[in-house]
Amino acid sequence: MSAVSSKPAPAAACRIALGVLGALATAALPATSSAATQAELEAKVQALSEQLLELKSELAQLKTQQAAPAAAAAQPVASVPASARPGDATSPLTFFGYGELNYSRPSDDSSATTADAGRFVLGVGYRFDDRTRLVSELEIEHAISSSSDPGEVEVEQAYIERELTPDIFAKVGLFLIPSGLLNENHEPTRYYGVFRNFVETQIIPTTWREGGLAIQGNTQAGLRWDVGVSTGFDLSKWDAAATEGRESPLGSIHQELALARAKDLSWFAALNYTGVPGLRVGASIFDGDAAQGQPGFDDAHVTLWEGHARWTPAAFDLAGLYARGHIRGTQAINLTLVGNPTLIPEDFFGWYVQGAYRAFEQNGYVLAPFVRYERFNTASSYTSLPIGLGPSALLDQKAWTAGINLNIASGVVLKADYVWLHDSPLSDRFDLGVGYAF
Amino acid sequence: MTRRVRSYGRLAWIGGTTLVAAALPVPVVIAADYLSIQSAQHSAFSQADRFEEISPAPSTQQQQAIAALAGPQPPHGKLRVWRAFLGDRQLGYFFFDEVIGRQDLISYTVGIDSTGSLGAVEILSYRESHGAEVRNPAWRKQFAGRNTLAALRFGTDIKNIAGATLSSEHITQGVRWLMALWQVSLAGAAT
Repeated sequence: MSAVSSKPAPAAACRIALGVLGALATAALPATSSAATQAELEAKVQALSEQLLELKSELAQLKTQQAAPAAAAAQPVASVPASARPGDATSPLTFFGYGELNYSRPSDDSSATTADAGRFVLGVGYRFDDRTRLVSELEIEHAISSSSDPGEVEVEQAYIERELTPDIFAKVGLFLIPSGLLNENHEPTRYYGVFRNFVETQIIPTTWREGGLAIQGNTQAGLRWDVGVSTGFDLSKWDAAATEGRESPLGSIHQELALARAKDLSWFAALNYTGVPGLRVGASIFDGDAAQGQPGFDDAHVTLWEGHARWTPAAFDLAGLYARGHIRGTQAINLTLVGNPTLIPEDFFGWYVQGAYRAFEQNGYVLAPFVRYERFNTASSYTSLPIGLGPSALLDQKAWTAGINLNIASGVVLKADYVWLHDSPLSDRFDLGVGYAF
Repeated sequence: MTRRVRSYGRLAWIGGTTLVAAALPVPVVIAADYLSIQSAQHSAFSQADRFEEISPAPSTQQQQAIAALAGPQPPHGKLRVWRAFLGDRQLGYFFFDEVIGRQDLISYTVGIDSTGSLGAVEILSYRESHGAEVRNPAWRKQFAGRNTLAALRFGTDIKNIAGATLSSEHITQGVRWLMALWQVSLAGAAT
């Protein structure tokens, strides 16, 4: 504030200094003087006198300008000493981030035990004016990204947000799709368990982002609505020779705005109700063609919808979610892929229920044991192919996860859990983790 | 083909609507200011006939006591404090405070009456889309009537808003700090 209002000072001060120097220099000139007449000297004195008056006036004006912000600062805006208050959050530039590190030991194969800096995310926000801001996040997965390492560097979010009215915001850029309970709230301090649940990883491909335009509104009654147009899936990315499509059908064909094919756009909508304290109920849909102009994929179309609820009565934290995806136009494509291990499913789904209890809470510590049951299937049906060519639908996978989250400070959580899997290609496992968000 | 045409029609409709909405001139001058300080003061102390701004200056020892009582705190912005009067009788204290939501400041107010009971929290400004659910009146009214820090536990007493966790937690932490300030350095000064 003072820096801004004192900006004119250097220029004015320079003018004054030059004026004074000029006057002094003039006054100090040797009096060649012998030749100068009395009238010339009087004229010079008169000129100097006028210059001094002008400088005096400019100086007075400068003093007034400098006094104004000082007087404003004297107003009792921050009435409590700054030293008594935690932090100062008045800068338009903000930094934030989160991270998670984990240890995972499969019960059936201890040689597959891993320790991993799973995610390291730094975010930068900048407020351009009262209604316009930037939100961005840069993520490093698995610590090191190079041609010989497993890591990845990703721009997770990068969008401009504009407040249209006090209740309505617009976003343009790369943003998270409002789907499920985790996708927009995926920091490790926000969920139970060392790893994100299976359903919101394999069915909803959290962290799922697209590029586009979105509008979000909130009502006083506690209803939030989202609607938007964005890039969508590209079914021509399907790799039938790999297993990635079986692990997460949509995770294997999303584009994340990395030179995304954008001939076919998608649309999405979401509704969430939080009008009763402790309750959130919502649903969302994402729908769009997935051919992206690629030959042989003309009828490809993807729809994903889900419904979710979370309720926190007393010290309990209860949640449930159901998600279902459908890929249309797969028959002709699968005919060309017969013989490969992973054909494109027509349907996939998953659901879970979860209960947690804040058993202990003191001095910043919160201990919450939890248990979660999930049932999911990444290929619950295929379009029919000629006899003998079509693959069989997969069995539903079941997973029990039980563990504890221990918050040791606001924004820091230690985790431990055990996962029992049934009808799954994965092994049961024991996990440890630490997560943070700020 | 018909399906494709329908699909494009739907996309065009949604895209057109969102683009038109985004391009509409917006008469708002200041970011999401829902209530003025004066309106919030009279909402908190409807009987008051004047508000007198004060500058509480807790000693170092008091600051330590406040920090210990309040618990973990998010970054804060401005804080202003007023005494509410009806004639010569002091009705309580009125606070304007700012805390970080997810990334940006939330400006809110709350009153504490002469018995130490909180009023409802009012949101004056909310500056980001994420977490805007804290404006919901039902959530803000959870603070009203609470008069101890033991009854201001986030998650248990003041419910979390799923999807607005940071904003709801940080406002709760801010109110805890104001309650601690009142207990340590203002309660005894009430007349």
